[in-house]
Amino acid sequence: MPPTLLFSPTLQNYADLVESKFVRSLMNSTVTAVSTTILALLLGVPAGYAFSRARFRAQRVVSLWTLTTRMAPPIAFGIPFFLIYKDLGLIDTRIGLVIIYLTFNLSLVIWMMRAFFDGVPRSLEEAAYIDGAGIATAFVKIALPLAAPGLATTAIFTFLLSWNDFFYSLLLTRSEAITAPVAIVNFMNYESWEWGKVAAAATMIMLPVVALSVVVRKYIVRGLTAGAVKG
Amino acid sequence: MSRITRRRFLKSTIVAAGVSAAGVRPSRPHAQTGKPYAGTRLKVSQVAHAYAVGLLDRLPAFEQQTGIKVEIDQMSFPVLNQREDLELASGSGAYDVMQMIFIRSGRWIGAGWAEPLNPFIDDARLTDKAALDVGDFVAGAMAPFKRGDTIYALPWLSDSTVVGYRTDLFEKAGYAKFPETFEALHEAAAKMHTRQTAAFVTEDNLHWIFPNWLLSYGGGFFANPPGDLTPTFDTPEALKAAEMFTTMLAKYSPPGGIKLDPSVAQAIMHQGKAACYLDGMGNTQHIIDTKKTTLADQMAFTHTPRGPKGHFPQLAVHGYFINKASKNKNAAWEFIKWAAGKDQMLWSALNKGHLACTRSSVLANAEVRQKFTWRGSDLASLHLAVMKRAGEGYMVYRTVPQFPPVGDRVIIAMTAIASGQTSVGDGMKSLQKDAEGILEKAGVKINRRG
Repeated sequence: MPPTLLFSPTLQNYADLVESKFVRSLMNSTVTAVSTTILALLLGVPAGYAFSRARFRAQRVVSLWTLTTRMAPPIAFGIPFFLIYKDLGLIDTRIGLVIIYLTFNLSLVIWMMRAFFDGVPRSLEEAAYIDGAGIATAFVKIALPLAAPGLATTAIFTFLLSWNDFFYSLLLTRSEAITAPVAIVNFMNYESWEWGKVAAAATMIMLPVVALSVVVRKYIVRGLTAGAVKG
Repeated sequence: MSRITRRRFLKSTIVAAGVSAAGVRPSRPHAQTGKPYAGTRLKVSQVAHAYAVGLLDRLPAFEQQTGIKVEIDQMSFPVLNQREDLELASGSGAYDVMQMIFIRSGRWIGAGWAEPLNPFIDDARLTDKAALDVGDFVAGAMAPFKRGDTIYALPWLSDSTVVGYRTDLFEKAGYAKFPETFEALHEAAAKMHTRQTAAFVTEDNLHWIFPNWLLSYGGGFFANPPGDLTPTFDTPEALKAAEMFTTMLAKYSPPGGIKLDPSVAQAIMHQGKAACYLDGMGNTQHIIDTKKTTLADQMAFTHTPRGPKGHFPQLAVHGYFINKASKNKNAAWEFIKWAAGKDQMLWSALNKGHLACTRSSVLANAEVRQKFTWRGSDLASLHLAVMKRAGEGYMVYRTVPQFPPVGDRVIIAMTAIASGQTSVGDGMKSLQKDAEGILEKAGVKINRRG
C-alpha cells in the first residue's frame, strides 16, 4: 500500500491523546515550566540587579559561583540528585522537578538580567535617589520597566529550558509527574511505534512555545539587541 | 537520676514510635474474607506492549478478586531500560513487580536485586502449583531467569528471530522456497534487488540481528560465556559473518536500511518495497496486517537461514520479577501468577495477537495454531522450534552482565562497516579492542589476543 500525495486528514490521533494520560503529562509540563519561570524570575531578577549595581568584596567570585550548576553536563548531577530525591520523597513530584529546574535556571536568569541591568543608565536611578526613592523603589519603578525586554527574553528562555527538559524528567519521574517530552517517547511500543500519536503529541508540545514566542517576539528582538549599538 | 542525653532521647523516641506503630498496625482483617492482600497497592513497570494492554483490559477482574490495586506503568523500551536500572541500583522499592529485561538479567540477578521465586512457588498457601504449572514455560524461555534450580522471573514474552518474505518475488526469481542458507540468501538477493524493491530489510538493533550470522558462521561475542568472556570479534569466522551481514545491509537493503526502527521496517514490507524481513516474531508477524497492506496474501514465514556451522536463531525473553526492595512481595507474587498465568497468556494470544508467548500449552492450543497459521506457515510452531533450539544454551552470551555495553559497541561497528566508514577488517579489529577495554574496565579477566 504505497503512500499517496492526496490523503484524508484525520484528527483521530489528537482525540486519542486527549483521552490518554498524555494530557496529564502536558499539564505537568505546564505547571513545572510556569512555576520554574516565575520562581526563577522572582529570585534571579533582584539578584541580577544586585550584581549589576552593588559593589562588595568577592563579587566576582560569588557571581562566578552562581554559574557552577551550569559548568558540568546535567548527567554528572543525575545520580546524586536521584539518591537525594529518593531519600526526601521528591521522586515523581512536580515540586521536585521545579526545584531541579530552578537550580539550573537561576544562574541563567541572574547572568542574563545582570547584563540587561548593566545596559540601564545608573544616572536614572541616582536621580530617583535624589528625589527620595529607596533602592527598592528605584529597582521596581525605574530599572525593572527599562529592562522589560530583557525580562521577557529571560522568561522565555527559562520557560523553554524547563518545558523541553528530557533528562531530569526521565530520571526523576515515574508516572505521576512525568512531563510531555518523556511521555512522547512512550509511544514507541515494543513491537511498533505509534507515529500518528508521536506527531500529534509533538505538535501539542510545540504549540504553547510557538504561541508564547509570537506574543513576546518584539520584546525578544529588542532584548537580544539591547546595547548592541551605543547611543 | 541519670541525665537525658541527646542520644538517649533519640533512642527512646524511636522505640516509642516503633511501639506505637506496632500498636496501630492494622491486623489483616481481609485474611478471613479470602482476600489477604485487600487494600495493597502494587506498582508494576513494564514495556508498552500489546500484552500489557491485555493485562489492563482484564485488570478490574483481578483487582475485584484479590482486592489489590494495581498500577501498571507502561513505558517505551529505552525508558524502561534506564528507569529500571536506576530504580534497582538505588534500592528503591517504588516498583513491586518489574520486567526482567533479557540482556540485563545477568546483572540484576547477580546483584541480588530480584527476589527468588521458589519460596513463593513452593508454598502451598501461596501457590496452586498445578495451576501455575512452571513446567509449561518452554525451557528456552525460562533458562535466562534460572540459576541452577532457583527461578527469578516468569517469562511472558519471548521474541524469536524468523523471516517474513514475499513468496511471489522469490518465485519470480526462481526460488520455490526461501533460501535455507545465508550464502543462498545472498545469491538470491543479488538477483532480486532493485531500486524499487530491496531484497532484504531488518531493524536497527543490530546487536540482535547480527548474531544470526555471527553464530551461524562459527563466531561468537565471547570465547566461552559465561566462564571466559574474552571477546572474539577478530576471528576469521566473525570477520566472514560481518562481511556477509553488512553486505546485506549495504547492498541489498532499502536506502537508510542500517537505521530502520521495527515499525518502519514493517511499513517497507507493507508497501512492497522489500522482499524479506528478518526480525523477532513479535515484529515480523505484523507484516500480514491486512489493515496496512494489500500484499498479505503474498507473504509467508520461515526460519532464519543456516550458516556453515548450523542454525542459530536468536531469542530474547522478558519476564516478571519481584523487586527485592518491594514491601508487598506476597501481593506482587499474586499479580505475577495471574499476569504470566496460562489463562491470561492464552487470552492474550487469541485477543491481542500475542504470539511471542512463552507457554507450551498456549502454542499447542488448536485455536492459537489456527489463528497464527498463514498461507501454510505455522507461526506458533516456528516460534516454539526457535525457543527449543535456543534452549540448548547458545544464547547465554546475551545474559552475561557485561553484554549491554559490548552490544552497543557492536551496533556502532556494524553501522560503521555497512555505511562504508571503515573496512570489515578494521571495523572488527577496532570492535575487538574496544570490547576488551569494556570488559577489563568491568573487572573481567580476559585473554588478550595478539
